[in-house]
Amino acid sequence: MLKFYDKLVNALAWIAGFLLFAMMVSITIDVVLRNLGTQSSSHLFTFTEYALLLVPLLGSPWLVRDKGHVFVEIVTTNLPHGLRQGLARVTCLMCAFICAVLAFYGGMISWDDFHQASKDVRSFDMPRWMLTIFFPISFGMMTLEFLRFFFLRENYLESAVEQILHDTAP
Amino acid sequence: MEWYWACALLFGSVTGLMLLGLPVAIAFLGVNVVAAMVFMGGAKGIAQVLNNGFGGITSFALVPIPMFLLMGDLFFTTGLAQRFFNATDKLLGNVPARLSYVTLLGGTAYAGPAGSSMGACALLGSLMVPEMLKRGYNKYLSIGPIMGVGGLAVIIPPSALTVLLATLGRTDVGDLLIAGIIPGLILALMYAVLIYVWVKIDPSAAPAYKAEKISRAEKLRLWAFDITPMVAIIIGSVAIMLVGWATPTEAAALGVVMVLALALCYRTLTWQAMRKALESSLRVTVMSFLIIFASSTFAQVLAFTGASSGLISYALTWDIGPMGMLFVMIGIILFLGCFMDQLSMMLLTAPIFFPLAKTLGFDLTWFGIIMLLALEIGYTTPPFGLLLFVMKGVAPPHITMKDIYLSAMPFIGCVILLILIIIFFPPIVTWLPKVSH
Repeated sequence: MLKFYDKLVNALAWIAGFLLFAMMVSITIDVVLRNLGTQSSSHLFTFTEYALLLVPLLGSPWLVRDKGHVFVEIVTTNLPHGLRQGLARVTCLMCAFICAVLAFYGGMISWDDFHQASKDVRSFDMPRWMLTIFFPISFGMMTLEFLRFFFLRENYLESAVEQILHDTAP
Repeated sequence: MEWYWACALLFGSVTGLMLLGLPVAIAFLGVNVVAAMVFMGGAKGIAQVLNNGFGGITSFALVPIPMFLLMGDLFFTTGLAQRFFNATDKLLGNVPARLSYVTLLGGTAYAGPAGSSMGACALLGSLMVPEMLKRGYNKYLSIGPIMGVGGLAVIIPPSALTVLLATLGRTDVGDLLIAGIIPGLILALMYAVLIYVWVKIDPSAAPAYKAEKISRAEKLRLWAFDITPMVAIIIGSVAIMLVGWATPTEAAALGVVMVLALALCYRTLTWQAMRKALESSLRVTVMSFLIIFASSTFAQVLAFTGASSGLISYALTWDIGPMGMLFVMIGIILFLGCFMDQLSMMLLTAPIFFPLAKTLGFDLTWFGIIMLLALEIGYTTPPFGLLLFVMKGVAPPHITMKDIYLSAMPFIGCVILLILIIIFFPPIVTWLPKVSH
């Protein structure tokens, strides 16, 4: 079950990465078509705007697990080890609570959009729930990720400096 | 609630949560949730937080951010940046302190699009500092240029942070990008002069050593294949924006295509390079977009509670004039830079500073460039600037924190001088955007 969940988190991040690349392709097609004197599709523009919403929502749970969300470490790095661990657990719980609240209300928005058949009107009428459904999914999974740090007693507050040194290591 | 209480509650709680170690985006979202409950009608307010985020993030003006990031990362992962680096190194030949110049050139080419002076600092610190020390360079001259790279990267386009600030300040993205060109070149010149004079006064700071002799044909080959194409891409993506052939968004996407095409020509475009570049740019994109998502409501709550207008009206009652107010704003950014990263500083200050700047009659592009430079200084200022700690992490163990502080000082001095020049000669910033219109 946990393995499946992990794969799901990674799969969503992959989709976010794919959308990032697709954005570049769609804008390039748009520019090329326009300069060739052809009318490009306005749907390309809409696709890019929706991708801007989906990229952070799909990638956030993965980034929580990867400890990639930036945080201020001036206080935490100067605390004694024990206190720092304790603070890390408290902050994980706080983050999980905030994300759970947003997941809940995001779910409500999505449910309302579905029932009221709300549309997001751009170059075409997109059923709004198909976009807002990603609020509960993303914030719900972020809640799980923060809880995982809490229950596994893993320190979320790894120094950003340590992290960047790790990332850029040859 | 009075505006000052609202102000204290909003800024106090977001700063408090950040200092506790909550990720910046979550801290903003948490404060938004509480503020929505208190000021915006409870549950409806929370739904509003999400709906605002939806509106704020689906803005086409944000597209250059991931595109510039991808461009910078592809430069690095496909080895194009390395080629440029090596070629510059060889072409500079026996120029005194050439490794310091190479650091400046290569660092600026990487750090701008990658949107991360921190990443550039880690990369160059681990790559160049040991090499320069091995060649007998003075430790200050080895570290200083790397600390200075951020100041260049943040204003010379293509810069992801510039796009972000323009979006937050609701000013023209293209204008702010273009406005950074002349001050960026001036700063580069100031750095070059600084290194030149430094070595002139103290030749032992960068001992001359016999560089590998290369033939004229080899020089031509390096220019033609390893320098011109890379520079052409960076200049090209700015030029098409400048002459109005493409918007900043389109220029950024075309920049990525050009890097891909170039890497394909050099046969360095592998799946692994693509995967690494996508992963790296995705990390920063997701992180910064979630913060933008959260900030859309924060700015609105500030306006809704009267905190921003109250604070601006209060600030206008100070009898210090527009310039005095500008220096106060710069001072606040430098103070925040002691314990915050650039993104958090931008988010906290942009919703107040930009409307205030507008009220004071400042040109917002001019103000944006000053703010970007101040953000970078804050990031590098002792004792707590984050960049200092990154350098400490990558530099050889015998380099002390004091060495790093002292190395950074002359370069910070150049940025401060540039800010003063911009303040007293605004056309340096405003001329090029006007011409491009």
